[in-house]
Amino acid sequence: MKRILLIVGILFFLLAGCAAKEEQTTGWYEEFKKQQQMKEMEAEHGQMEAGQMQETAAEHGHMEAGQMEESAAEHGHGEVKVTKHFDESLTKLTDNNLYSLELVVPDKHLKMGVNTVEIIVHHATGGDVAQAELTVTPWMPSMDHGVMQKPVVTERGGGLYSVDNVVLSMTGHWQLQVKVAKDDKEDTAVFDFPEVKAMGHEHAMMHAPPPEDLDFSTMKMTATDAFHVTYQSIGGQIRINRIHSWELTIKDAAGEPINDATVTVVGDMPEHGHGLPTEPKVSTMGVGGFYRIDGMKFTMPGWWVVTISIMANGVHDSVSFNLNIL
Amino acid sequence: MRKLILGVIGALPVVSFFLAIICIIYPAETLAMDQHSWNNQEKAILRSLWLGSLGPLPVDPSNKYSDNPKAAALGRKFFFEDHFSGNQKVSCATCHREDYFFTDNLPLSHGMDTTPRRSMPLMGVAYNSWFFWDGRTDSLWAQALGPIESKLEHGISRTMSAYIISKYYRKEYENLFGPLPEFMEDAFPQHARPALDDPEALKAWVLMTPEQREEVNKVYVNMGKSIAAFVRTIVPQPSPFDRYVEQIVAGETITSRMALTDDEARGLRLFIGKAKCTNCHNGPMFTNSDFHNLGLPQKEKGEPDMGRAAAITGVLRSEFNCLSKYSDAHPNDCLELRFIDTSDKKYVGAFKTPTLRSVTERPPYMHAGQFATLREVLEFYRSQADNPELGHKGLTDKELDQLEAFLHTLSSPVSSLQAEVK
Repeated sequence: MKRILLIVGILFFLLAGCAAKEEQTTGWYEEFKKQQQMKEMEAEHGQMEAGQMQETAAEHGHMEAGQMEESAAEHGHGEVKVTKHFDESLTKLTDNNLYSLELVVPDKHLKMGVNTVEIIVHHATGGDVAQAELTVTPWMPSMDHGVMQKPVVTERGGGLYSVDNVVLSMTGHWQLQVKVAKDDKEDTAVFDFPEVKAMGHEHAMMHAPPPEDLDFSTMKMTATDAFHVTYQSIGGQIRINRIHSWELTIKDAAGEPINDATVTVVGDMPEHGHGLPTEPKVSTMGVGGFYRIDGMKFTMPGWWVVTISIMANGVHDSVSFNLNIL
Repeated sequence: MRKLILGVIGALPVVSFFLAIICIIYPAETLAMDQHSWNNQEKAILRSLWLGSLGPLPVDPSNKYSDNPKAAALGRKFFFEDHFSGNQKVSCATCHREDYFFTDNLPLSHGMDTTPRRSMPLMGVAYNSWFFWDGRTDSLWAQALGPIESKLEHGISRTMSAYIISKYYRKEYENLFGPLPEFMEDAFPQHARPALDDPEALKAWVLMTPEQREEVNKVYVNMGKSIAAFVRTIVPQPSPFDRYVEQIVAGETITSRMALTDDEARGLRLFIGKAKCTNCHNGPMFTNSDFHNLGLPQKEKGEPDMGRAAAITGVLRSEFNCLSKYSDAHPNDCLELRFIDTSDKKYVGAFKTPTLRSVTERPPYMHAGQFATLREVLEFYRSQADNPELGHKGLTDKELDQLEAFLHTLSSPVSSLQAEVK
């Protein structure tokens, strides 16, 4: 009898708990709705602001145009202005005032490793520029060199171009040289990034202990499920301080091997803020989706992250593998 | 059901009673063993630091004489030869003293003059990937040639070296490397080398015929390869730490027999754990052979030492690197050079992690002898709390004592190829 009472009691408690939880859920949902409404209102407000901003930008552009009246007149254009759609973007007029470029970079900062940026191209006199040929070159002015990997530009329409595979091989001062060519007219602008930092190495990140449930699998899908990637260290277990090679297998989502991908490897130690002590090189074996990465080396024990970026069939995607080096 | 629950509850006092008895009987032994009991992960780390994990000397593909005993014997003579210097008083052994773990006791080494850095200890040096504090050569034989032509060290030239070899070591050289030309004064300048810091020597070098230059370079390179064959044989002997690891692996449990005292073992635990020393001082030689900027105090006068950053271009262009025509390696074997990290900004003021074997026996410390005692080094590391690569923060004074006590257990004699007994 007592036992039955106990069970009833427990059931009652559980029910009460659920009811309370439900109440909470309802509360949370209403809160969310409110926030949504607030956001919408803010967005409307923001649009107004953006409108104002555009005017200001135009005015600013006008002033600049005033200073550069001669060159503008030379080109026979009207008013030269900078067009800006996003608050969080960088804008530049090309050297000869032909185009206004808007560069959208996440957080306004390029990072060491593989970046993707968006570029919106406008005529300096207004209007989208479609079907232009964009060439983007990462450049390190102090070292007077660029990178082996070529960024890949894809036109998205409405003057918007996506630039994938912007690989910055080290930290420091970088520039993005953007060349726009259309109908025999060519012009260039240079965006400056005085301090490119290592991936995710804001100071607060350092000393962060590795997540407890770190996934050490050697077989993964890339971030947006475009590719299936497997790695294997050639010669068995990875040993500290030894240069060694990896074998990589890349397949598409349907499981078909990809043999002509552009592959970039960046190694990183999230707890310490530095990369690999070597510059590994990737070569395709030409069959079976096999690639070889030579020159891998880990000189510190602990948690390493190796990010493999893959560019194939016009798709750019990447995957990060966790390693525990002993 | 209720009976079962009651049974379990009833058994509890009995179980705790027995546990209490066990604790009363064994506490002393258990507590004392704490410092010497290591889990599997820790045992794996200890094994990785053990001298027994070092393995045979790594093959140097760029030097086909590296394991030739005759070359090593000749290299030993070169190593101690005073003639290879501007004042006939400086040999390799001047700054790499056999009685001082093949380094010297000066903050800045002194050959013909005072150099900007401290001399490196040579034991186990063959296991390195890069040589010198800044890794400006990728082989031991190329390293051996650097000081000969440095004005501050030996202060002579490659032509002078060839002349000395042809005069004093002709027979031994020819036995190994084949016919040796005469390097007489009338045909060859005594002081010629391709260096910008000595216009006279450079002029003399340029005025030589390409064939003459080639002949001199060949002898000079063989000299380096012989010295390297000897320096490779300088290796550490097992230390108390190594004996301790063997005991742990063998399952030794009696405290009084342990090769390390409790405090030394505590220091070891800190070394591989909280103090994170194995971030860089890992492997049986206690070095990752990589380059790090520790934020050491710079010298007051003169240009700051750029360390590794200033060495990368040099080693890539070196006339004596692994990919050069004087190397015996297949290009594919030049792994370190092929995959060298060229991001020099990452390596500004960075210097190679030195070995810690016998570290307590050979002060002063750091690349320019910045610290006279090991205690100062440990205090400095503790002060660099913001450097994420170091991360030794939060160590107490007592823990520094224990670390220092542990470092003493890395001391052991050094063995090297000895002169032939006649």
